[in-house]
Amino acid sequence: MVEGFSRRKPLWTRRTRRFLRRGLLLITSISFLFVFLFPFLWMAAGSLKTQVQYMAYPPVWVFHPTLANYMRVLTSGDFGRYALNSTIVASLSTGISLLFGIPAAYAIARYRRTGLGLILLLARMAPLVAFLIPLFVLYVKLHLVNTYTGLVAAHILVTLPVVVWMLVGFVEGLPPDIEHAAQIDGATLVVVLWRIVVPLTAPGIAAAAILGFIFSWNNFLVSVVLSGDRTQTLPVALFNYLGYQSIEWGPLSAAASIVTLPVLVLALTVQRYIVQGLVAGGLTGY
Amino acid sequence: MRRLAALAARPSEPFQTRRRGLRLATSTDRWIPWVLPLPALVLTALLMVFPTAFLLYMSFHDWFMEASSHPVWIGIHNYEALLRDDRFLYAFARTGYFTLLGVAVQIPFGLGIALLLHQDFPGRSIVRTLLLLPMVAAPVAMALVWVMMLDPGIGVIRYVLSSVGIPRVAWLSDPHTVLPTLVAVDSWEWIPLVALMCLAGLTALPTEPFEAALLDGTSPWQRFWHLVLPMLRPTLVIVLIFRVIDLLKVVDIIYVMTRGGPGFSSETLNVYDFLVGLFYYRVGYGSAVAVVLFAVVVGVTLLLMRARRATW
Repeated sequence: MVEGFSRRKPLWTRRTRRFLRRGLLLITSISFLFVFLFPFLWMAAGSLKTQVQYMAYPPVWVFHPTLANYMRVLTSGDFGRYALNSTIVASLSTGISLLFGIPAAYAIARYRRTGLGLILLLARMAPLVAFLIPLFVLYVKLHLVNTYTGLVAAHILVTLPVVVWMLVGFVEGLPPDIEHAAQIDGATLVVVLWRIVVPLTAPGIAAAAILGFIFSWNNFLVSVVLSGDRTQTLPVALFNYLGYQSIEWGPLSAAASIVTLPVLVLALTVQRYIVQGLVAGGLTGY
Repeated sequence: MRRLAALAARPSEPFQTRRRGLRLATSTDRWIPWVLPLPALVLTALLMVFPTAFLLYMSFHDWFMEASSHPVWIGIHNYEALLRDDRFLYAFARTGYFTLLGVAVQIPFGLGIALLLHQDFPGRSIVRTLLLLPMVAAPVAMALVWVMMLDPGIGVIRYVLSSVGIPRVAWLSDPHTVLPTLVAVDSWEWIPLVALMCLAGLTALPTEPFEAALLDGTSPWQRFWHLVLPMLRPTLVIVLIFRVIDLLKVVDIIYVMTRGGPGFSSETLNVYDFLVGLFYYRVGYGSAVAVVLFAVVVGVTLLLMRARRATW
């Protein structure tokens, strides 16, 4: 027994080695994390700088922050309305997707032969432009360009696949016995769905709703084609600011920060499901 | 297995003659698969199937969308014209280059980060959470930030690089650097996704082979090459499929940052299609480009899915 242990190094060396190893891993991951988070920090810093500080080269690292940019963005122009538009479109398209998606997800999860799965898989591969060209032609004919109805309908393209695929996963995790027991007791399909499946998958539904909201909120391509002055959403507004002759980077950074912050906060509440959601419904911006 | 489980889960058939309630349940069972997805099927038919069919139909027409003009049936002429359209052919080649470069950068880096996060050290769950941020932030906002950071005059990237002696580069306005720069921005956004998917794959691997390998005194490199890589292959192929699908279709960051420029030097297929169909209103021709792009994505995906089954 003494033989076996004698070859091992003294305890303090092993501890030091483990300590060093963990320290090294921590330092490495902090440094690459810094690279991935730097754009966010730079955006936040830029939003607190004056135009003079902004244009300085070499860049100013330590400065007296000002909230003037945020005041400018929030008081002047239609920023509030764009934010409202984004909220309306994202909420409605997510809500409708849930309404249609919950029964569909239930059927896919329990029966597997609905054909909807294949369509949604093809939709995952299709470029968004392939839908947007025909929709645009149709919308011009039906006078749906620059209407909330049209925009919400098109955003469902983005939210429905995410919502359905997320919910399929959650329903599959539910033991079917409870539904069968209810059916034996004479519960109708609507009752089974509404009183059993929905309450039991409530956390999953909430996660799917938040992800759908994020995807719609971030979407640029659908909105830039199908919205107009009245229904413009935040990403389109940001893009239009960029088109001005002399760009005021301070207010632009402030606007970008305001657009990004709610998404980051929402994302942290559903962090466990984000990877799954992104894999399932990649129509975010393609 | 799944089918067996589904069979076992069904209300048992023998009882159905004896009790009416159960017969009701089984007959419900028969129409559930058709009725429940019906609303969603109608919705997807309206929003996805109909547009795709219309797209295919339009791609055989010549139509400049205007009040006075009407679509004219021209057969496969649009597709023939594509073969002689230099702008299209260059965009096609650029899309391939963009996708290959993106995959070549993102998969190794993502796998590296996954291996790092697979180790045990304090704070690794926080690192994992913060890695989610680049992929959930609005791409337009992030594209704007990158435009600011990449500015050849006052950009912070110029400053950082000049401190290590690298001269000024016009990242987005030089035709030679614009595509690699855009790949870098796309990689910043999506390497974390690759990393987290690989990490999930690593976590699911059995531990016994690694314990055995440790006892046999293998080096970390041997364990990576002979154990981790072969065992992680299914995960890696899935990651590859999803990254290829999305890289072939990237449009928002390119459109916001360069609008396909300078000249046409960052114009990929999707950007070209966006401009032709929705900016120049050449609906017929744009539809043909979209059909080709769609076919390329589906074709490449099917190829990769076949490769998933084949051996390395």
